[in-house]
Amino acid sequence: MTNIIDPIAEIDESRAADQDVVIGKSRIIFRRFMRNRTAVAGLFIFLALFLFSLFGGFLTPWDKDTIDPLNIGMGPSPDHFLGTSQAGIDLMALIVEGTRISIFIGLIVGGVSVLISAVYGCTMAFFGGKVDAVMLFILEALIMMPAILVVAVATSGGGGLKNLPSWLLLIIVLLFFSWMGTARLVRSLSMSLMQRDYVKAAKYMGVPSRKIVWRHLVPNIGSLLVLDFTRGITGAVLAEVAFSFIGIGIKLPDVSLGVLIGQATGQVSSFPWMFWVPLTVMFLLTGSLAMMNDGLRDAFDPSSSSIGRAKTKTAKKTIK
Amino acid sequence: MSTNISHTPAERLRDAGLYAPGDAVLSVRDLNVRFNSENGVVHAVRGVDFDLMPGKTLGIVGESGSGKSVTSMAIMGLLPETADISGSVRYKGKELLGLSDKAMCKHRGSDIAMVFQDPLSSLTPVYTVGNQIIEALTVHNPTMSKQAKEARAVELLRMVGIPSPKDRLKAFPHEFSGGMRQRVMIAIAIANDPRVLIADEPTTALDVTIQAQVLEVLHTAQEETGAAVVMITHDLGVVAGMADDIMVMYAGKPVETGTVEDIYYNPRMPYSMGLLGAVPRVDTANKQSLVPIEGTPPNLALPVTGCSFAPRCPLASDACLHGEPEPVSVPGSEGHRAACIKTDELSGEANAHAIFQAPAKPVSKFDGVARLEREKVLELKDVKKHFPLLKGALIKRRIGTVKAVDGLSFDIREGECLSIVGESGCGKTTTLLEIMEFHPDQVGEVVIGGVSNKVATDSKTKMAMRKEMQMVFQDPTGALDPRFTVYEVLAEPLENLGMPRAAVRKRIMELMRLVGLQADHVNRFPNQFSGGQRQRIGIARALAVNPKLVVLDEPVSALDVSVQAGVINLLDQLRAELGLSYLMVAHDLSVVRHISDRVAVMYLGKIVETGDVDEVFDNPRHPYTRALLSAIPVPDPNLERTRERIILQGDLPSPLDAPKGCNFATRCPVFAALPAAKQEKCLTLEPPLASEGQQEFACFFPDGEIDADMLVVHA
Repeated sequence: MTNIIDPIAEIDESRAADQDVVIGKSRIIFRRFMRNRTAVAGLFIFLALFLFSLFGGFLTPWDKDTIDPLNIGMGPSPDHFLGTSQAGIDLMALIVEGTRISIFIGLIVGGVSVLISAVYGCTMAFFGGKVDAVMLFILEALIMMPAILVVAVATSGGGGLKNLPSWLLLIIVLLFFSWMGTARLVRSLSMSLMQRDYVKAAKYMGVPSRKIVWRHLVPNIGSLLVLDFTRGITGAVLAEVAFSFIGIGIKLPDVSLGVLIGQATGQVSSFPWMFWVPLTVMFLLTGSLAMMNDGLRDAFDPSSSSIGRAKTKTAKKTIK
Repeated sequence: MSTNISHTPAERLRDAGLYAPGDAVLSVRDLNVRFNSENGVVHAVRGVDFDLMPGKTLGIVGESGSGKSVTSMAIMGLLPETADISGSVRYKGKELLGLSDKAMCKHRGSDIAMVFQDPLSSLTPVYTVGNQIIEALTVHNPTMSKQAKEARAVELLRMVGIPSPKDRLKAFPHEFSGGMRQRVMIAIAIANDPRVLIADEPTTALDVTIQAQVLEVLHTAQEETGAAVVMITHDLGVVAGMADDIMVMYAGKPVETGTVEDIYYNPRMPYSMGLLGAVPRVDTANKQSLVPIEGTPPNLALPVTGCSFAPRCPLASDACLHGEPEPVSVPGSEGHRAACIKTDELSGEANAHAIFQAPAKPVSKFDGVARLEREKVLELKDVKKHFPLLKGALIKRRIGTVKAVDGLSFDIREGECLSIVGESGCGKTTTLLEIMEFHPDQVGEVVIGGVSNKVATDSKTKMAMRKEMQMVFQDPTGALDPRFTVYEVLAEPLENLGMPRAAVRKRIMELMRLVGLQADHVNRFPNQFSGGQRQRIGIARALAVNPKLVVLDEPVSALDVSVQAGVINLLDQLRAELGLSYLMVAHDLSVVRHISDRVAVMYLGKIVETGDVDEVFDNPRHPYTRALLSAIPVPDPNLERTRERIILQGDLPSPLDAPKGCNFATRCPVFAALPAAKQEKCLTLEPPLASEGQQEFACFFPDGEIDADMLVVHA
């Protein structure tokens, strides 16, 4: 076999590709994300909160189990930066612990539910037909199930789950109800990917089905999964707060932001710091994630306007 | 027009305003458009000048990325606000650039109207067609009465050739076919008697027969309104018959302008010459290789220092790299200007094939062997694929059958290329998929390399068949997983066969060389290659397992003309060197004529004519083949203007009311001219595929007269 294209042409083509026109996709996404100021701010707030929840304990000599009998129900003071609860426990210690539990629940539920929905959705789309119909029926049935009742029953010790800590129980229950929406999204996206020629090409080469799902489908829905991961964290944090607030989520002695807010609602006027501080932390947490999500969407969506302007740049040049 | 090269842009603009012919309806001067991108500011349009006289047609020709569409959008004021536009666009002497969106709305749709490329997405699906035409009228004529507007809408629909326009006014866009929707778009565009009509690739998304209809409608629309037309296209054939003047664009700059005759018969810029040589011709059996223009257009994010075409130009010398040449007048022909410093040397006799060093036509080892003595690599026997048409929400009733493929039989011998041609919806792609599926439950028999689908029950036989046949897809971007490097793409079929790692490596290097890519490119991702290079990777993947037969699904239709020529030459070469057979599906009959040995014309799931490609194309017997061939525009203005064209009426019939006798009777130009007694035969009996010499066709009256209404000649 001979080389059938003359060498000059080859050099030309390589030259065209060698110019710095080629930018890695991850770099483009990173740049687009960085262009969105709000998103970057969100990322920093989230990272700060994360570090605070891990190392915040060093900022105060107290811990969440120690009662300070001299300062019961006191406002912020040099001894206790954020004040103490009506039981005399340092609020800072409580917040650190609560934030950690909330973020922990959010990360686990967000991550695992995305994994479940990716595998479930891809399987539905790939096999189609009867498999798809049955799996879709199960999915719809789960959507119909009243989540709040199941949470109430499970966390109050129903079904012989007494021995597990309440945060683990809550994670399991939240996971059980959080993946269906994404799974349906993944299913429809994979169905359109199945129509792509490269999947057909692999089929016509005789590549086995599971290999096609793993090598071609899962990586290509990656951007959707990343987006859904951050959204899932927000959802899980909010769900935890809501459930704990009405008293069916995290149970004492475990603390979480929801538990703290729930406890303080009764005495907002007498112990305002007990209510406002955890509420602010929760807003910072969910707010930063929402800000980040917006930037991520911009970064992944090729049609978004985060490309920057030509006009302003050239205008500057002409002024100069 | 300014020939003062040394002037600054401001001076040029001032001069242009002075020298612009007073009667030009649209005059564009030094139009520049810049966009921002991830790679910096892209200078997409770099100094476009033209004057459009009333009633004239200007064709803007160029490859994708040459800035032709951006030019039209800039004229219409439709570019996003982030773009930087400078220069001057004057409509009847009035400056349009810099007008606010609101002020532009007065001109858009009434003075200057536009027809877009994709008719499927340019009509709103939730409003009736009548509503949308009337909307265009209301915006610019608020005082017009309702009756008057409706009457005008009916008149417009009739003008663009929509049957029973009064009833169709209440139809929704989805009830119209693509060609009909494009007619509606034209009706909306000419609703307010615009002086300038901009058509941006108006027929690219349509079938050839429909393209002929739509071009005809555009022609009438222009005659009726007397508007000047700017026709933007990449197809040199489409503008040959329509345009008065041509502007060839390259890298955002007009590189050659002149009358149609100037450009087609006496091109002076190497790029235009290459473009003309890169297009295969449907009307001649010229089996010469095509002119490949190697390389890719320059990156417009970087400043252009020399001639933008120099890196791809075989005639480029050092002088070409210093300073970009301005368009200069070609001596001897007025108004013909080319941006090349060698314009004078490239007079009449210069031959594009010689300049671009087109390779010689390769010879295959099978060329000397008679067809019947070669082995069959693929045989289809009475293959059928019917889809049930279901209706009903809960209980599905079968209300009909779509006969996508209806009893197809053909064979392909070693070393030959068979092409299946026909309009979209005729079943060509379904045929390919049926072959690729290769399943024992199929209706009919598919034999690949001696293995029949009827015995292919175990995976081992199937694997053996997959080794014999591979596929190249239409869209080179979609056919490669964006997350795979070229190495992974090419390794996939080889690893699947269980080849050891070292052998895979060796084979991949071999493949890269074979399709003309550099070996060290294997670690790149598909998005780092140009379209033509991607298609080469697709071809390399198909060849990886050393198949005997390669199935090509529209292998070049997604590529630009100059790149297309390179890929076609490669396919030709590979067939000769490796003794491959091709089964190709294509809608571009010029490409088919160039590359194939045999051709099968399909209509509604059946082969209506088949035979040797030159015999069928030179002497088509079936009226459908005749119509199809006459609808292809040829890049030759003189020929194009005098050629007889058969304009088929309507679209493919819906499968629900498929004709009983001959499938084609509803649109047949011969049938329309037949006396009633003979028509009866066509309506009741199905014509069999009868052979005459090497050629086979399914028609009772192959020599029939063509109905005069369907024959059009532009004199």
